[in-house]
Order: sequence, then structure tokens, then C-alpha cells
Amino acid sequence: MSASETQILNAAVKRRIRNGVLGLASLALAFYFGFIALLVYRSH
Amino acid sequence: MAQTLSSGIAHHDDHHDQPDTGIKRWLFATNHKDIGTMYLVFSLIMFFIGGAMAMVIRAELFQPGLQLVDPVLFNQLTTNHALIMIFGAVMPAFVGLANWMIPMQIGAPDMALPRMNNFSFWILPFAFTLLLSTFFVPGGAAAGGWTLYPPLSLQTGDSFPMLIFAIHMMGISSIMGAINVIVTIMNMRAPGMNLLKMPLFAWSWLITAYLLIAVMPVLAGAVTMLLTDHFFKTSFFNPAGGGDPVMFEHIFWFFGHPEVYIMILPAFGIISEVLPTFSRKPLFGATSMIYAIASIAFLSFIVWGHHMFADGMPLAAQLFYMMYTMLIAVPTGVKVFNWTATMWRGSLSFEPPMLFALAFLFLFTIGGFSGLMLAIVPADFQYNQTYFVVAHFHYVLVPGAIFGIMAGVYYWLPKWTGHMYNMTLAKTHFWLSAIFVNVLFFPQHFLGLAGMPRRIPDYAVQFTDWNMVSSIGGFAFGASQILFAIVIVQCIRGGRKATSAVWEGALPTGLEWTLSSPPPYHSFTIAPEIL
Repeated sequence: MSASETQILNAAVKRRIRNGVLGLASLALAFYFGFIALLVYRSH
Repeated sequence: MAQTLSSGIAHHDDHHDQPDTGIKRWLFATNHKDIGTMYLVFSLIMFFIGGAMAMVIRAELFQPGLQLVDPVLFNQLTTNHALIMIFGAVMPAFVGLANWMIPMQIGAPDMALPRMNNFSFWILPFAFTLLLSTFFVPGGAAAGGWTLYPPLSLQTGDSFPMLIFAIHMMGISSIMGAINVIVTIMNMRAPGMNLLKMPLFAWSWLITAYLLIAVMPVLAGAVTMLLTDHFFKTSFFNPAGGGDPVMFEHIFWFFGHPEVYIMILPAFGIISEVLPTFSRKPLFGATSMIYAIASIAFLSFIVWGHHMFADGMPLAAQLFYMMYTMLIAVPTGVKVFNWTATMWRGSLSFEPPMLFALAFLFLFTIGGFSGLMLAIVPADFQYNQTYFVVAHFHYVLVPGAIFGIMAGVYYWLPKWTGHMYNMTLAKTHFWLSAIFVNVLFFPQHFLGLAGMPRRIPDYAVQFTDWNMVSSIGGFAFGASQILFAIVIVQCIRGGRKATSAVWEGALPTGLEWTLSSPPPYHSFTIAPEIL
């Protein structure tokens, strides 16, 4: 990775960013698998 | 907060304030400005590739009969023109603008997740190389339309899994980009910049990012199930096995309608930045503009059925979708009237960004009005699958989304490069684009009302005249875009030095104007205080 990468050192900000990413990624995955599950259920 | 941010952000190596050199700078880029540049260059290349396909389509339609391409290739071109323009040109252009501008507007040193940002971008060249390579595999590229409706899309040849994989990669890239935008805006704003002080472009992107996270997985789920229908003998959508193709349409448009707003809301944000600058007045009703964007985004989730009136649906559903579609005109009207009120008694000047913003205001509104016509159920039965629909969505997407992008590029280009561009050439680009976009698309309303169906390479002779006019407009519009590339390249290579504020009327809503032109490679390493 770039040697001039900006890094966030503050633990609280880092934690909020990590939690935000995990939450939003979970939401996206929930939509993906949720819709597939709904359609599998409906097609039976 | 001020102390937290200023002491909490550092560079990996404080001695490296300059970018890497050569290919490493771009391959391993984590700087938001570099990644923004890559997105914008990629988008411009895709714009010309998708545009070249459009030129072939318009050349074929110049006169009735089959001249240049066979019907299968024609349908492959229309399908891939749409996929490339939507996922390769418009969306990456907005992500590029977001990468460049959001950190600079909110006083952040970079995007919150720079490495994921790199990954989001570099997925795209692979996705589109895969998509374009489908033209060269047995059976050819997908030809069933960008909507991928089964059972037609299931008849695609060997390229089918390549198409689905490419769509998955585009979706993953968009979702990662959206996550990055949200966590950046929510966590890295400068101290004192509360949400209501945030520039409208950043606001429009925050809402767009939530839309992306909600709907891209739905498209991914639908195309995954198309894949299993094609290869694993499931019958979710394939009627030959008892599946329900109309269900696919519902899922597709549950993604597809918000997708339209994903392509227009960031343009709303850009116009809301440009008009106040060149009117030398603050944006009229800024808070109501935010609520209007949020309202449009919410309504976009509950109107997908208006794409499917002709499929047949219960009367109550028709009325629901019709009325809620018309309701979108209310927040959209708030925006149009607020933009007009911003200009009212302003000290207007007509530099290229303002010209594109004004054209957006008039021409996007035409696309909005024809959308209202299509929302009327009995009228839609006549317009459905005709060139009227083609005219409608091209008015929304070309003088809407693409003029919005051009307004943004002309607005911020001096900030990015540190040089003013050739105003005469840029204005020539504007006038040619504004004139010929209408020559290209307005006659398509007449063709549609006269009954010319869309997605056909041949047509009845009574449609010839307006098709010729439309094609001439298309060739001229396409050729005039070369000027856009020339203006950008000239501006990168040199020109009159741009000041920090760039435009005389630039109002300090976004922090980008407090930075030098061009901005330092690392901006806001110490967070600014907003009073």
C-alpha cells in the first residue's frame, strides 16, 4: 500500500468507522440473502 | 472533537507527502484524489465506448431496412450500451466526484477506508473487460435488454455467466463505495460541521449511498437466481419449469427504480452547488432541498410497479403505483422551484458550469414531465415499449445525469488541476451538446407517440424522417463530446492559474474553496474549525 496513506489513529473514531462498516455490510448481505431466501420460500 | 481529529489523524509516513511515482501511484492508490481521478478517467472511457455503440445504433436506424448490423448484434449493442452507460459511465463518474469532493467539502483528510476505496475502483476495469469480452464468445453478448428479463435472458449463450459475474462485481464495487461514503461523512466531518451545515453535494451522496446499499444486493440476488435457473435447473423465474418471470420483473424494478435516483440525486447535489455560485446568492431553501432529496429517495422504493403496468396487475395496485409516482413530482417540484428562486434577482453569470446547470434545469424537467405522462396507467398502455419511453429516460439521463456530471467537472476542474480551462471551447461544447441533445431525443417523443416500438433495428417507412433527424442529432452530439475530452486534457496540461476560490461567486458552503488550487496531496491533515 501507498507509503503516504492517511491513517486514523484515534481509537474512538476508528471504532466508529469499523462498527459503521460492519453494520452497513451486514445490512447489504441481509438484503442479498434475505431476498434469495424469500424467493426460495415463495417458490415452494 | 477538534483536538481529537487533529491529533488522531496521521500519515503512515510523514516524510512521504508526495505521491508514489509511475504505475505504483495508481495501482496502490489510497489517496482519495488519485482514486477520484481514476474513477473519472474510467468513466470517460466508458462514456466513449458506450457512446460508440449508440452511434452504431443510430446509424442503423438512420433509414429503414437493415444496413450495418444484423438484428442480433443490434440487440446486443442496445443491451450493452445501457449496461455500460449506467454502470460504467454515470455511476463511476459520480463516485469519482464523491471521492474527489466529499473529503474536501467536509474537511476530512481522506475517505475513511482508503484501501477498500482502492479495491472498489480496481474491480471495475475487470468487470467491464469481462462484460465487453462477451461480444467475442460463442453466442455473442447478452441481447435481451439491460433489464435481463427471463426467459429471454436465459437464452444468452456462453457469455451468460460472464455477464452475471460482471454485474456482481459492479454491485460489490458500488456497495463498497457507498459504505465508504457513509462512514466518511458520519465520522470524519470537521469539528463544527454539523449535518445541516454540510454542502448539498455531500448530502445528496449520503442519501444516494443508502439507496445503493439497499438495492444493489437485491439486483445481485436476482441475477444469482437467474444463474441458478440457467445452470442448476432451478425454476425461480423460468416459466418452462413453472417459474414466475413477472416475479423477476418485480425484483428487478425494486432495484431499478431507486437506481434511476442513484443516477440523478448526486446531479441534484451538483446543481445545488453550481447555481448559488453563479447567481451569487445562497441556495434558496437549503434545508427543504435536503428533505426533498430524502423524500424522493423514500418514494423511489414504493413506485417500482409503474414499470410493469402493461404486465397486468390489480386496479388497486395500478392506482397505488400511479399516485405515488405522481407524488414524486412534489419534492422534485420543490427542488426545481428552489433552484429557480436561487437565481431570482441574483447576479447571474454564464460560465460553462452554469450553462450546463441551466440546461439541466430545463431539460431534466422535460424528462420529468414525460415521466408523469408515463405514470398515468391508461396512457402508459399506449406509450409502453415505444420510443416515447426511450425519449423519456434519455432526457432524464443525458441532459439530467450526464449534464449534471459535466456541470460538476467544469465547476471543480480548475480546483483539481490548478488551471482555468479554455472557456470558449467549453462553451462551444455546451452549446453543441445542448442543441444536439434535443435534436437527438426530442423527435423520439413523436416516434413513440406514432407507435414506433423500441429495441428494433428496422421500422416502418413512416418513421423515417424523425429517425433521420434523431440520428443526425446523435452523430453531432457524439462528435461534440470530443471537445469535452480536449478541454479536460488542455486543462490538465496547463492554462491560466486558478485561484483558491476559483469562481468569483464561490460561497463558503464547502471547505474545498479554502484549499489551494490544486489542493495539496494530503489536505486537512489538521481538521479545520467550522464556526
